[in-house]
Amino acid sequence: MAAVIETHGLSKVYGDVTALDSVSLSVEEGALFGLLGPNGSGKTTMIKVLTGQVRPTGGYATVLGLDAEKEGIRVRERVGIIPEQESPPSFLTAMEYLEFVGAVRKIPDIAERAEKWFDILEFRDKKDVLCKDLSRGTRQKLMFAQAFIHEPVLALIDEPLINLDPLMQDVVKEFLIDYVRKKNTIFLSTHILEVAEEICSGFAILHRGKLLHAGSVADVTAGGGHLPGFFLSLVRKGGHA
Amino acid sequence: MPDLFSCLMKEEWRMHSTMFGSISFALFPVMIFGIVFMGSFLLPLLSVAFPAGDLAFLAHASFLLLGFMVGGFGLLGNEMMNRRFGQASLLVYSSRNLPLSERFIFTNFVVKDIVYYFFLWVLPFGGGYIAASPFLGIPLSRALLLLLTLSLSFLLGLCVVFLLSSLYVRSKTACFLAVIVPGIAGGVYSAWSGTNPALLFPPYLLYSGFSWMTFLGISIAIAALFTASVVLFSPEGTGSTRTYGRMLGRLAKVLSFLPQSPIVAKDFLDLSRSGIGIGQALFSFLIPLVVIWFFLSLLESSLPPHGLIVIFSLTTGIIASTIYTWVTEFDSFGPYSCLPLSVSTLIAGKMTTFLLLQALPAVFIGAVTGMSSGPEMVAPAVVLCISISVYAASVMAFLCGLFPGVLVYDVRVLFTYLVLDGVALAILAAISFASSLYAFLSVFLLVPAYLFSRAAGARWDARDTAGV
Ligand SMILES: Nc1ncnc2c1ncn2[C@@H]1O[C@H](COP(=O)(O)OP(=O)(O)OP(=O)(O)O)[C@@H](O)[C@H]1O
Ligand SMILES: [Mg+2]
Repeated sequence: MAAVIETHGLSKVYGDVTALDSVSLSVEEGALFGLLGPNGSGKTTMIKVLTGQVRPTGGYATVLGLDAEKEGIRVRERVGIIPEQESPPSFLTAMEYLEFVGAVRKIPDIAERAEKWFDILEFRDKKDVLCKDLSRGTRQKLMFAQAFIHEPVLALIDEPLINLDPLMQDVVKEFLIDYVRKKNTIFLSTHILEVAEEICSGFAILHRGKLLHAGSVADVTAGGGHLPGFFLSLVRKGGHA
Repeated sequence: MPDLFSCLMKEEWRMHSTMFGSISFALFPVMIFGIVFMGSFLLPLLSVAFPAGDLAFLAHASFLLLGFMVGGFGLLGNEMMNRRFGQASLLVYSSRNLPLSERFIFTNFVVKDIVYYFFLWVLPFGGGYIAASPFLGIPLSRALLLLLTLSLSFLLGLCVVFLLSSLYVRSKTACFLAVIVPGIAGGVYSAWSGTNPALLFPPYLLYSGFSWMTFLGISIAIAALFTASVVLFSPEGTGSTRTYGRMLGRLAKVLSFLPQSPIVAKDFLDLSRSGIGIGQALFSFLIPLVVIWFFLSLLESSLPPHGLIVIFSLTTGIIASTIYTWVTEFDSFGPYSCLPLSVSTLIAGKMTTFLLLQALPAVFIGAVTGMSSGPEMVAPAVVLCISISVYAASVMAFLCGLFPGVLVYDVRVLFTYLVLDGVALAILAAISFASSLYAFLSVFLLVPAYLFSRAAGARWDARDTAGV
């Protein structure tokens, strides 16, 4: 199978902080890939570099065969992104924000697609409310819808479950599992290890910008192991190294 | 209070200094000092053309204008704060998690801003003049008095707009009355007595003849205005949940002949629904300019024919160019960064919104010119005003990208901006003084303006989108 994301010695230095330290990684088509790591380990930075929002200071990355640094716009045309903590624009309604995304992404049937998302994520009653008046969780739903509305072959999503209630988390998890069945790829950053174990096929662990491990979830759970235990022992070791 | 205050000061310092380095920020007041110090040596030359009193008068008017431009604190409810500073959490939000009231923190915030502006603009300006005064044979006491009265001008302008903007958020009618009633009173008085109300501007009166009573009166007025503003300030704005039908798509279609029509449509909805559009138009445009008109009109006798309207068109043009900061400063760019939009696309969209909003200065300067100088001056004045505005905004977009409000405090940026605008202003003023028909030549500024805004895209695309 073809690699959808490939990085070679990818580094990003902010002043005196090394957010990514020579990371080489490859993600296959059809994977639901979990990027794990403690706070500040470089997960968000990784997603930003892969989508051309931030320039790497070393190495390079290709996403869907495009150079992430030089062709960032083309990458963002083709992928969907849920940013870490951004909110939709305050003075547009939920529906209008999706219309805006549709206009930028040139989606002709945006209204019908939006209607479908109001049903999937159960926020139809909020579609005409200004984004600033939406609850945190509803904003997250809207950001989720925005990332998938053009049915991208690859979505890079940063903590998508944050602020969602348990019922909604299940809906989202089901959606993601189903989405990769259709040969799409998901690159998911999270520190909820149970979720990663439950839904991911492959995973990588970042720690202080370094890649500690990359492999398949099945290999860890095969011998009765669990991802949380594996993660903790690896990160603690890494922490002392 | 001292703790919170010093933390706010540090925060402001770091915000600027991380964006372009501490040195560049610290040098800002030094540069203002230097410019005024050097400029003071031109005074003997200038005073051949201009009576010295006119220059002092002009300096007071400029500081009043500066106060007007920064005084709209009342508009800064939570929402505006959020936009002005983006997602980064700042101390002003801390009433959410610290046991301090919104009003208390807000007051500290405003005082901090005033202190910053004072040290960045007012003090270096006065200081430069004071330092030059011995060489020019100006008594030190006069120079010190000027610093005092300029500071009072600045504070008075700031407090008036602060009060009006706080009123505006509470009740549009009250604000409207507070503008109209003194406006009419001033108009009636000046018509009745035949004096320009600007001559009664208290800080200028104080400069012309110092008296403790006047000083005390002005200080009390400032304190009263400030207290009333803080009391009236409402942090929350309207609390209700607002709903709207689908307007963005339709508006974007109507505007589809424009480049980046979705962004332009979004900007217009944003400006109208948030109240920022009308608020800014009132407090950062109309009120300051109407007041400045009275000040400038006093200089008419020292100016060539049509000179007043030329100067006023140029002033309006420069103020109109700051409309570019309204459309950038009060937007947060985070939500765009996950879409296939480049910084150059955003700048192009913001410039398009800016150009459409130029209808406001065009109508304003047209109306003022029509009423004061007659119809034959309307076209040259409008062309002059809009050309300089578009040119200055393009220079700003080139130098500051999407962050003009912050980057202007980078000395290199401000210096380049002043030189590029100063040259254009000087040439235009000179040729338009010669003949009002020459004012039409200002359209040639649109060529460098076009080049600057094109270059702005390329320049800012080359930086990290989410890096600032
Ligand atoms: N714009 C920036 N400027 C300077 N340093 C930054 C910037 N963005 C991130 N960093 C630093 O880079 C490192 C990695 O940050 P990043 O946000 O990628 O971590 P993360 O793994 O997403 O953390 P979390 O789990 O808390 O979301 C951190 O040390 C952070 O302080
Ligand atoms: Mg993160």
